[in-house]
Amino acid sequence: MKVDHSQPLEYSTEQNRLNILGFWIFLGAEIMLFGTLFTSYFTLVDRTGDGPTGVEIFEIFPVLMETFLLLTSSFVIGLGIHAMRLGNKKAMLTFFAITLLLGLGFLGFEIDEFIVYYHEGATLQTSAFTSMLFTTLGTHGAHVTLGFFWGLFIIIQVAKRGITPETANKSFIFSLYWHFLDVVWIFIFTFIYLEGMTRV
Amino acid sequence: MGYFAKFAVPHPSPAIYASMIAIGVTVFLVIFGLTYFKKWVYLWSEWITTVDHKKIGTMYLIAALLMLFRGGVDALMMRAQTAVPDNKLLDSQHYNEVFSAHGVIMIIFMAMPYIMAFMNIVVPLQIGARDVAFPRLNAISFWLFFMGAMLFNISFVIGGSPDAGWSSYFPLADNEFSPSVGTNYYMIAIQIAGIGTLMTGINFITTILRMRAPGMTLMRMPMFTWSAFVTSIIIIFAFPVLTIALLMGTMDRLFDTKFFATTDGGMDMLWANLFWVWGHPEVYILILPAFGIFSEIIPTFARRNIYGYKSMVISMVVISLYSFFVWTHHFFTMGQTAYVNSIFSITTMVIAVPTGIKIFNWLLTMWKGRIRFTVPMLYSIAFIPLFTVGGVTGVMLAMSAADYQYHNTMFLVAHFHNVIIPGVAFAVLAGSTYYWPKIFGFMLNERIGKWAFWFLTIGFSLAFFPMYITGLDGQARRMYTYSEATGYGPLNFVSFIGTACMTISFILIVYTIYYSIRHSPRHVGGDPWDARSLEWATHNPVPEYNFAIIPQVDSREPFWDAKYKGHELFKGDYKKIHMPNNSGVPFIMSAIFFVFGFALVFSMWILAVISLIGIFICMAHRSFEIDHGHYISVEEIKETEVKMGGNHK
Amino acid sequence: MRELFPAKQVWGFILSLVLTAAALLVYFFNMSRTIGMTIFIVTAFIQASVQLVVFMHARETDDSKSIFANIYYAILIALVTIFGTLLCMLWGWKY
Repeated sequence: MKVDHSQPLEYSTEQNRLNILGFWIFLGAEIMLFGTLFTSYFTLVDRTGDGPTGVEIFEIFPVLMETFLLLTSSFVIGLGIHAMRLGNKKAMLTFFAITLLLGLGFLGFEIDEFIVYYHEGATLQTSAFTSMLFTTLGTHGAHVTLGFFWGLFIIIQVAKRGITPETANKSFIFSLYWHFLDVVWIFIFTFIYLEGMTRV
Repeated sequence: MGYFAKFAVPHPSPAIYASMIAIGVTVFLVIFGLTYFKKWVYLWSEWITTVDHKKIGTMYLIAALLMLFRGGVDALMMRAQTAVPDNKLLDSQHYNEVFSAHGVIMIIFMAMPYIMAFMNIVVPLQIGARDVAFPRLNAISFWLFFMGAMLFNISFVIGGSPDAGWSSYFPLADNEFSPSVGTNYYMIAIQIAGIGTLMTGINFITTILRMRAPGMTLMRMPMFTWSAFVTSIIIIFAFPVLTIALLMGTMDRLFDTKFFATTDGGMDMLWANLFWVWGHPEVYILILPAFGIFSEIIPTFARRNIYGYKSMVISMVVISLYSFFVWTHHFFTMGQTAYVNSIFSITTMVIAVPTGIKIFNWLLTMWKGRIRFTVPMLYSIAFIPLFTVGGVTGVMLAMSAADYQYHNTMFLVAHFHNVIIPGVAFAVLAGSTYYWPKIFGFMLNERIGKWAFWFLTIGFSLAFFPMYITGLDGQARRMYTYSEATGYGPLNFVSFIGTACMTISFILIVYTIYYSIRHSPRHVGGDPWDARSLEWATHNPVPEYNFAIIPQVDSREPFWDAKYKGHELFKGDYKKIHMPNNSGVPFIMSAIFFVFGFALVFSMWILAVISLIGIFICMAHRSFEIDHGHYISVEEIKETEVKMGGNHK
Repeated sequence: MRELFPAKQVWGFILSLVLTAAALLVYFFNMSRTIGMTIFIVTAFIQASVQLVVFMHARETDDSKSIFANIYYAILIALVTIFGTLLCMLWGWKY
């Protein structure tokens, strides 16, 4: 396997370059996945039946916390990749661990948010709006959960095997995934929560 | 007995009981045969764990042919039932199950895998590569498709077949009107197979972008590779829509969500909308590779290179983008305003233009060529007028105001079969004959093949052209019978005759394969048709590593140039070749997916959770796995090349 | 220690926070629907681009053309799907 030392480690072999390109294409598909969720959400947003509307259940504080936690985690993992490129394994692992902890914090707030909605009478089955809300937020949350475990596996592998072309490649691809989840959250934050809370 | 009651078929019939027995006998015979001939290890190590694109493609091909049989039997049953008025062959419930199964099987489990078969076998060879970008993922794609197909196919003997049509509209598809598990099978089996297809799309885009032989720029790629590339692009943007639609449908049925419900704010029409946002690009996923296959066959047998290469490429790219802009034409009558319908009417009519350009280019390729009337060429020549008729009836349907007359009549049924059969079916049959020597090492018998072609073409015309007329006369689709007073009888009987001819054609195709296995000479060499592109520059059978030396390309027809213009394809010496290892994980993970799907269909939650954990364990295993493949040594390459009579150094 | 916090990443993070705050202004200051939606769209897309270019290194390799083509295509088709669906299911129903 030919290693090109003029490139960052995650791009340094042909298979590495294939993996990164393949993952970007997967992200294109994920844009359509979330695009379809948003399509359905915007179509069903006013169809609340006898149940509550967004304005009635959305709270600014947990949403702000979720946004801040995810945004910061995206910044931190960027620092992690930079540390990886510098060859600093300890810094990289520290930054990755902080990223996952922030992600865990995000999930904590989101689970609590769902519990509060349930108690307020907004359940998965209440109306088309609530079904869509939970499914959209839930799909994003499930992606974050999957990402948490994936990130954990990568931390273990880098700790045990060091920063090699393979582990660098995997870590970089994971960071692409994590950044993408933040991009999706930006749209959820803006067009579901803020838009929902500012409707007349 | 109470627990097992949910697995019973809600509407049994003698045919279904007979099928249960047949399935049981077949499974027993397969297991017995494998054990008696001691082939389990062979099956596992050569086929179940393979990551070789050629073998994966072959498995897709075999699966597609088996599904063609099942879908075809469905068709024969339907046309037999409607051959005469007030027929009693199938009651309405069974007719619904048969046309639903027919649609899903033919599109998702026959046409898609057939196309995947050719993409897998041909594309890496055409671009001078040794495999696809992600061989393991490729294996997962196949096994997920296989498990999805298996799950769908057992529905009619365990729990009940889907019966809401291949498009499964809500509210019919919801629990109130479809209480059996049939529609659960629909939602979940297609979901599993769809994940596999999405993986294939990602795989082939990466492969085609980064693994072409040196000198093969994008504008020097063969036409089939271009069609595979464009198709893969459509796949990655269309299939996620289906994923979400099926998820929402599954949740409505299993978890009482209100997406498509008729109460609590649900919008049943949203299903139709999302289904067709996927569904229209899907039909272009089917037809573009078919166009690619014809674009390979016609130049070879007209002995001229393709006319208008650039416009062929541009038209396919335009079609791929445009296919996302037309979906509403599938439900013009659903209630939106004339303004909305007009927009989609115009976009739909526009998409006919690039297709028309391709038809002219194929004709101009044949003009002043020296045509050889082989079986693949016969299919290609018949495709052009027949597909054109289907296409122009499509333009008729595209006019939204007129569509109020045609929608959901037999006219529509005639149109889409008129484009799918001469388009996709002819292409895959032509491609099977064309690429058969490359895959299996011998030719298919021409004489019997020609009989099959004629029975198919005449049978198709007899079966479907009358439907245009009965459709205009008012015969609705999906109706299990009609009274004599309607006057639809005679033409429906003609359709039945046509279907019988198509059945004979299928039997002849099977006989062609059987006869050729027994009598065709082996060792026909790597280039039996005197073709133009790189896949024919390999030996027969193709060695594991495809090319001993990666070819050098400096034109659109590198192999033709090597044969007749002195271009040197294989420069340099042998080097050791890196190949991926086999793996059992794709099969195992897909088998767990089958269990997961089955558990969801029957709401067996504990089993579903356990199998979901199993899937995640497989993924975790992959994350931690260290697998660097293996090397094929120079000595081994030399030995293989000498054995196959290749260019030795 | 300084080299662990590259300037580009830090400024990208700060810009994301500013853009988020800008979107929040719509909520806290009860702006009109048109102005609100415009601010939402602008801030969301700019923030997404920051992620893509600064954080995800989309411009770094020779695959960048394919990567950007992929993203633009995806966004175009997603927008057509969203607006086409809203047109068919909601807006296109008033005669």
